[in-house]
Amino acid sequence: MTIKEEPGEVARLLSYVVLLAVSFGLFLEAHTIPTSRFEILGAGAFPMLVHGTLITLLVIAIAGSVRRIPGDAYGRVSAQIMDWIRARRLVFAVFSFLAIYLWFMPVVGYPIATFAFLAVLQITLAPKTRKSAAIAITLALIFSFGLNWLFAEVFNVFLPRGL
Amino acid sequence: MDAFLIGAAQVLAPTTLLYMLMGSVAGIIAAAIPGFTVTMAIVLTLPLTFAMEPLQGISLMLAVYVGGYTGGLISAALLGIPGTPSSVATTFDAFPMARNGEPGRALSLGIWASFFGTIISTIVLIFAAPPLAIFAVKLGPWEYFSLIVFALTIVASLVGHSLQRGLIAAMIGLAISTIGTDPMMGRPRFDMGLEVLVAGLPFLVVLIGIFAISQLVSEVEDAEAIKTGEKLVQGEIDFKTWAVMREVLMRPVNLIRSSLIGVAIGALPGAGGSIANLVAYDQAKRGSKTPEKFGTGTPDGIVASEAGNSATAGGGLIPLIALGIPGSAVDAILMASLMVHGISIGPRLIMDNADLVYGMFLAMAVSSLMMLMICVLSMRSFLRVAEVPKWVVVPIVLVCCVVGSFALNNRVTDLYLLGFIGLFGYALKALDYPLAPLVLGVILGPIAETNLRRALMTDPDWSLFVTRPVSLIFLIAAVLSVSWAIRGIMKSRKQTEKTEEPL
Repeated sequence: MTIKEEPGEVARLLSYVVLLAVSFGLFLEAHTIPTSRFEILGAGAFPMLVHGTLITLLVIAIAGSVRRIPGDAYGRVSAQIMDWIRARRLVFAVFSFLAIYLWFMPVVGYPIATFAFLAVLQITLAPKTRKSAAIAITLALIFSFGLNWLFAEVFNVFLPRGL
Repeated sequence: MDAFLIGAAQVLAPTTLLYMLMGSVAGIIAAAIPGFTVTMAIVLTLPLTFAMEPLQGISLMLAVYVGGYTGGLISAALLGIPGTPSSVATTFDAFPMARNGEPGRALSLGIWASFFGTIISTIVLIFAAPPLAIFAVKLGPWEYFSLIVFALTIVASLVGHSLQRGLIAAMIGLAISTIGTDPMMGRPRFDMGLEVLVAGLPFLVVLIGIFAISQLVSEVEDAEAIKTGEKLVQGEIDFKTWAVMREVLMRPVNLIRSSLIGVAIGALPGAGGSIANLVAYDQAKRGSKTPEKFGTGTPDGIVASEAGNSATAGGGLIPLIALGIPGSAVDAILMASLMVHGISIGPRLIMDNADLVYGMFLAMAVSSLMMLMICVLSMRSFLRVAEVPKWVVVPIVLVCCVVGSFALNNRVTDLYLLGFIGLFGYALKALDYPLAPLVLGVILGPIAETNLRRALMTDPDWSLFVTRPVSLIFLIAAVLSVSWAIRGIMKSRKQTEKTEEPL
């Protein structure tokens, strides 16, 4: 394994461990689901089968990863992960805006939340020119208030109206 | 003959053709927007048909149906996001082909494959509706479970770089499908006391979150490129209509095999386009002399997926027309639209309303021709999407995904789920987990569990899975499929080792 591949493999190892913990917890919970008198398999049988298989696969994956990753790689990884996060700052910005948008939509309603989300996100991503700002605002208006009107008046589907 | 002529006269009337034209456009546009499905488009069309003649109404809905199966390919090819669940496999090759500078060819291949797929399925529908329908309804839960086991072996073709991570992703998909109310007894499972999880994770929300959100967000990874106004797809916007038609017809085995797979899966109640495209893709890859090219932008992958999913339209009508059993949600809505007009659906439909049935066959063929015409004439406008900068496309398609997820059940909690699943999907993508096996797991999980439990409720004898002939055939096919996949993996590993050996 090259030094370049190390952070990816360490991150995957971490993902296997997290998935294993979740899957093990759900396996135990599935075990507690009572069976019905009308069937041999209860509601917990299929999930136990799935999580049992998943746990086996994850244990094999963890063993393989631990064998592949050199001992001194773990120390190098934290700095590389920080670089990875820095390079993807826009990805984190998009997820943050999306979270705020989804959180506030039921409160302020679809048109206002969408207008704010589209205007802010487009202006953040766009080249800093007056033309792109004007396009961003126009599109934000069309896809917020315009789409809301279309759904309500034509399709009779009402998007969140807010409190 | 009289019945056929009466049906043809109604379908070919100028008003009906005009409605069908509008239906085709609506279906294509609705399916091209991620988050909006063919089912949604048909539901929205249903009230409009109440005032029409029965055949006129059903022709309009068939036009939306056929258009919708093709529309999904537009976002699959240009954005890498399946517009509908039935175009998941289209993203595997159409998107790389578009990214390699041939967006026009990718779309053109998909459209022609869809057209031929629909025509082949219509021909099969006309000749084989009664026998195929009788076979499809004779399948019990044992056969269905074995069929799903066979379908799960497709994972081997979708694993990408690592078989291990592919299997883990498929198991995560199956695990996601177990969240919420249990499908047999209605017992709550894994809801953690959260209202958002009580109803389970809707398949469409998972699909949008996993594929669309993760793909859109990864488009902004390169901060410098997006700030310069980088376009979504660079390259030649040339449709090459006739050259691509020849290219599709030069693959007759793939085209016919994928269409027949689509018809067969469409005819099975409960299955449909979302499975057919993956099975057809898998079979095309296994049957190919160059399976290593699949996933890099090979025409065979696009032809298989699009012919497979479009052929389910005709396949789904087989049990509906012959026995009155809707094979999918869309077929159930078609059935409802006929029932609104007082037409009873069942084995007597073809005897009592022959003109209607022949009209439906003709409407299928006309719809596919219309879809082709609209796509060929307007594809240049669709391809303009590729010229829009990413800073415009990403936020707007994100909003479309949000609206689509909400409109599905009118539930605000689905929006929160969409956000979480999108983040989870991006994390999996960044960690190089293949996403297609996960989606396959979510699709097949409930069908597998329901049929396994139903089979054992009917008869606790496990041996029935191997003693019932059709079930045994599916299980043998599953074993062969796994052996074939393992053989392929060993072969490619040996080749890699050979090329890595120092000279």
